Amino acid sequence: MEKILEKKRVDDWVAALTGYEVHAPALEEGIWGYQPINGPIRLDHTNTKQPPKEFAFPQREVFFSFEQIKGEAPRLKQVMPSGPRHAVFGVRPCDGRGVPRMDKVFNDHAQDAYYNARRKNVAYVGLACNKPPSANCFCLSVGGSPVSTDGLDVQLTDLGDRYFVKAITEAGKDLMTAAGKLFADPSAADQKQLKQVHAAAVAHPQRAVNNPDQAPAKLKASFKSPLWDELAQACIGCGICTFLCPTCHCFDINDEVQGKAPLNGQRVRTWDNCQFPDFTMHSSGHNPREGTGARLRQRVCHKFQYFYENFGMHQCIGCGRCITECPVGIDIIHVVNKVVENAG
Amino acid sequence: MINLKDIRETARDMLAKGEARAVIGYRRGSRGMLAEPAFLTKPEEADELVWDPTCFHNLSLYLVHDRKHLAHAGKNSGGAPVAIIAKGCDARSIVVLMQEHYFKREDVYIIGVSCEGTGVVDERKLATHLNGVQASNAAFDGDDFVFTTAEGEKRIPAREVMADRCLECRSPYPKEHNLVFGEDKTGRQLEAPFAALDRFEAQGAGERWENWARHFDRCIRCFACRSVCPMCYCDECVVDSITFPVTTETTADEKASRIRWIERSAARSENITYLMTRAMHLAGRCTDCGECDRACPVNVPIRLLNNKMEKEAREQFGFEPGASIGGPSLVASFLDKDPGEFIR
Repeated sequence: MEKILEKKRVDDWVAALTGYEVHAPALEEGIWGYQPINGPIRLDHTNTKQPPKEFAFPQREVFFSFEQIKGEAPRLKQVMPSGPRHAVFGVRPCDGRGVPRMDKVFNDHAQDAYYNARRKNVAYVGLACNKPPSANCFCLSVGGSPVSTDGLDVQLTDLGDRYFVKAITEAGKDLMTAAGKLFADPSAADQKQLKQVHAAAVAHPQRAVNNPDQAPAKLKASFKSPLWDELAQACIGCGICTFLCPTCHCFDINDEVQGKAPLNGQRVRTWDNCQFPDFTMHSSGHNPREGTGARLRQRVCHKFQYFYENFGMHQCIGCGRCITECPVGIDIIHVVNKVVENAG
Repeated sequence: MINLKDIRETARDMLAKGEARAVIGYRRGSRGMLAEPAFLTKPEEADELVWDPTCFHNLSLYLVHDRKHLAHAGKNSGGAPVAIIAKGCDARSIVVLMQEHYFKREDVYIIGVSCEGTGVVDERKLATHLNGVQASNAAFDGDDFVFTTAEGEKRIPAREVMADRCLECRSPYPKEHNLVFGEDKTGRQLEAPFAALDRFEAQGAGERWENWARHFDRCIRCFACRSVCPMCYCDECVVDSITFPVTTETTADEKASRIRWIERSAARSENITYLMTRAMHLAGRCTDCGECDRACPVNVPIRLLNNKMEKEAREQFGFEPGASIGGPSLVASFLDKDPGEFIR
């Protein structure tokens, strides 16, 4: 389904989505983030500071609650995600490509009921990048594109005073039919302009990982390279790069006790982070990834080697967040290029 | 005016003569104009050094990393000192670390750089100012910063894009040094000390709580503020899942009965406990280098919490963190002039 929507009608479209909780990028504290809509939506954002992964994989997920009266058996009560369907507007194509990667992680060997319950309730309305929203964008070199529709349900393309709106999935069609009257059929001129805009978007220069196809083998051969320690020398071991990554998915599970009489609380899953020193800390006190070099290697190889070995695609989707946000200049493009080049 | 050539020559000389086993300074990173920490060990690397308005990092953090590496290798000293480029605030951090006996004066060779008429740039303010235009170079020029962009040279009065802490800086000159470049422009502050804090505190209690509650809710617990802070050097931290250094001697009971002060959930109560604990532990130690504030990916104004402690210490005890190596510390000393009759 391909349609044209005048920009001034976008809010009417959103208003027609009565069965959905609609989220769109909004500026808060000087940063772009997905917020429940509150007034007219803006789609002139760069990219959001946090990717849209939280809609299917929130930082905190309750698995079940528990209660135990002394001397009795503990009583467990499963807690499943519930709530309205979500429509998320303004998702950039790179972040869209993060979605099928997360789907694989949470459905490959086992189906994650919590992730899937949220995932089936989210529709992503993407926005093509007519120009790179960040100086550290590199989607083209990791198999993506500023006009990719992968993982999206609808793709919007900015044509000046109107959007070219394309349904990618059935869920996307549903979103459009909910406000069918607002949309017009695209003319031949619209189609032509779309092609031009997309061609220009793809032609826009970007930073690049030089040999992405060679990366898995070269990284594998570089496991013991002294470069890892060298490149990670400035690393402070914080969690910015992975917490803000659209495809990082590691988690921890803890019991959070809320009261003692009777003992009660919740078992929760929270994001965890391979860059934290205690991530791989063993109960014995031994830490196999003690230094920042080993931890940087884990992050980079997961993105460009391990995931590739498991699923035949790079996990990194080239949004550039980890580069832009790193307080000390660790740059995944530079790291991959340097290690791959050094592997000969 | 600081001549970069002089800094480079000093570094080259020291490394060539073996007077320093490493020089920690700034070099141009791989992402645009921004400087990044540099660790030089060979004289020929000295030409990599830069000095420009993006040298915002407090490099004294890496003196802490160095001590940790030495301790891990079972060494007390690395032989020759480490030379480090230090701005006024950074030099005060080094003084606090020595005051706390983290390392000795002779372990460090301080190459001071005066911030003269300006401080360093605030990336967020600059991004707003440049409004999407990418800058490829930054330079000091008197009271201005000069940026090279695709649209030509942009000269911006430093005070418009300077970090808040630089606007309020009382001592931009690194008093503790072995060698110093640049003039002493102490007293050039553009805003009163604690100006940002005073503005915040001028609000009513209800408003202040609303603001902080909102910020505490936004914290994602990436711990960048802790990781980037040279004063957060503890081997064990109250927020980690392992809150004591585990060894092979640690019994299972000890491991099981550790107290979990703060849950991993990034919930308001936990985030408050984390950020307030950190602020308390920085009282009398924080030199307002502003790194926590800069590193925070979600713009929590962490600096205000530390500023509050600094202001209390100043008003109650006339205490200036990082003023002298041999001087009393805030919490480990009692002076006859101290207020608080209760303690006598």
